[in-house]
Amino acid sequence: MNIPVDMTLSLVLLSVLFSFGSSRLPGLIKVLAFQGIVVSIVPLIIGHDMTTGGVLFTFVTLAIRGIVIPLCIYIAIKKVAIRREVEPIVGYHASVLAGLGLIVAAMAVSHRFNAPSFSASVLLLPTAIALLVAGMFLLMARRNAIAMVLGYIMMENGIYLVGTTFSVRALHIVEFGILLDVLAGVMIMAVILQNIKQTFDDVDTALLRTLKE
Amino acid sequence: MVEIVFLAPFITGVIAFFLPRTLGRPLLVFTGALHLLLSVLLWIRQPEPLFNAYFAITPEGMLSLLVISLLFFLISIYTIGYLKVSDIRSEHIFTGSMLLFLSTMTMVTLSDHIMVMWIAIEATTLASAPLIYTHRSSVSLEATWKYVLICSVGIAMALLGSVLITISMDVGGVDAPVSFSALTAVAARLDPMWLKAGFAFILVGYGTKMGLAPMHTWLPDAHSEAPSPASALLSGVLLNCAYLGIFKTHNIMLAAGLEDFSGPILMGFGLISILAAGTFILKQTEYKRLLAYSSIENMGIIAFGTGVGGLGAYGAMLCLIHHSLIKSSLFLTSGNILLGYGTRLIEQTGNLVNQMPRTFIAFFGGFAAIAGLPPFGLFIGELFVIIGAFKTGHYIGVTVLIVSLCAVFAGFANQAMKISFAPSEATIGLAEKSNLVWPQYVLLLTSLVLCFWIPDSLYRTIMTAVTSVSGGF
Repeated sequence: MNIPVDMTLSLVLLSVLFSFGSSRLPGLIKVLAFQGIVVSIVPLIIGHDMTTGGVLFTFVTLAIRGIVIPLCIYIAIKKVAIRREVEPIVGYHASVLAGLGLIVAAMAVSHRFNAPSFSASVLLLPTAIALLVAGMFLLMARRNAIAMVLGYIMMENGIYLVGTTFSVRALHIVEFGILLDVLAGVMIMAVILQNIKQTFDDVDTALLRTLKE
Repeated sequence: MVEIVFLAPFITGVIAFFLPRTLGRPLLVFTGALHLLLSVLLWIRQPEPLFNAYFAITPEGMLSLLVISLLFFLISIYTIGYLKVSDIRSEHIFTGSMLLFLSTMTMVTLSDHIMVMWIAIEATTLASAPLIYTHRSSVSLEATWKYVLICSVGIAMALLGSVLITISMDVGGVDAPVSFSALTAVAARLDPMWLKAGFAFILVGYGTKMGLAPMHTWLPDAHSEAPSPASALLSGVLLNCAYLGIFKTHNIMLAAGLEDFSGPILMGFGLISILAAGTFILKQTEYKRLLAYSSIENMGIIAFGTGVGGLGAYGAMLCLIHHSLIKSSLFLTSGNILLGYGTRLIEQTGNLVNQMPRTFIAFFGGFAAIAGLPPFGLFIGELFVIIGAFKTGHYIGVTVLIVSLCAVFAGFANQAMKISFAPSEATIGLAEKSNLVWPQYVLLLTSLVLCFWIPDSLYRTIMTAVTSVSGGF
């Protein structure tokens, strides 16, 4: 049991609920930025012996996940000035309810898994599972292309949380490579978003249905 | 120094972004030639990589690298002719992305560290995205969006799978480098539950990139919207790169004695892919999408063969090599047809035999080869897969495989006949210059020659690559 870690992780869980309930894109992006920051500092407080390189890398992660990536998307929507609604397929109230159910389910499921890496905190695995599934939910339950990108980022955050336990052993150069890939991916998505906006005058993915069979 | 093979195209790729088209085109061919030279040197010398914690020379990697290198060189020659007659506005982005794409794919074939492998495969997605959007139309935008989003999400699953494998090391109390070679050596001590979970996620993740059904939905769109040289690269070698990730993880599973888990899953995904491809090929109206579905079918056969093991795995490896050679040749040919007729619809083409005779030879030869007619390599590969499946007693699976292969053949033959011989009034807007046809001829000839005569070192490499999967014959 580790109180500071669990408290931090509960903030992440709260951010999941907020993201399910938010109807406007700027709000959603802020929630994601907050989540990115909190997720990145988890390795710092989880209490492994941190080297200088490790601490430095944590701050780089924080800068990219918490600031650069959200900023990228924010600039993309600023530039194209799209309708700032997320166009839900599943309504907000139903989404929040689903989010609550998801967190409970994640808690229940994670008891079945038993790995020494997760002993640091009771909430680590449930939060990671919740983030993964929540990211997929956003991908499927929102028609707005930007909300889909945000769902992808949330999934990445979840995977990062699973990986934090592994990062003790990982080489920072490898972790950095992964981070760079994610960053480049989001940037490319942002560029495509701008082009979608210019071509279709909207970012509703329902418009992207010409190609079939 | 092994790393130079992917560093060289990376550097020239970055330079190409800033070059005018008069310099960009020669640079493309020059890099292709240099890359081929370096790959052959690597093949002969087999040196030790500088960063041997991350990279290694493996037989399956070397096979893929040689295929990539040869293909890229020939495609780069074709591209010169293609760029002259097609209308591509931002050519420097196209050339630069082609080279970066080559660099990232080379990195995939050489990576040994699980995470570096992931980084390289995700990088191939990013480098190839601008290629699909080359034509700047609304449909190509849609294809790019689908490609980037579906593949990124899919590959994120593979990242999760890779992390789960490291957890299996934790649980099993194994202290080894996180590389495929090291893990295969200590596989028996890894925790089986986490390893299985890791394999499942990696299969879904890289399977998305490889085009296994039902995660294949991006593939026909991306292949049909990309300019033909890029489609040839996507289909010919990108799919192989993703397969490499699955193959190496499957090797760990085999070493851990879990092939009863991974084999059937691979076979299942393989069969679903072949079935799906067969269904869509039968009623296909566009020839580039037809070729794309045929790629899904072949990836299905390869996955099935790998899952069967033994003779099947050897057949799968043959299919992998020949599919690359033949399918890339067909995609280049489809570029000629598109330039000539100006349409992707099969019904608006026709009479290829008289209209574009030199392209017709490449097209029909390619069709015969990809459909699995003897004496081409795919016939031999598929035969081995089928025999392997019979020997191991997978009667239901192999029945489904054969029936689907018949459907694919029927559909493909029907469409190929329409394109080749149906009466057509179309006027052809393309002069068949020799550099628009002979790269295809060379690719097909290479495939044909490899059926009758495999160089000894190549044969030994194939055998080493599949020994672990096949456990001898």
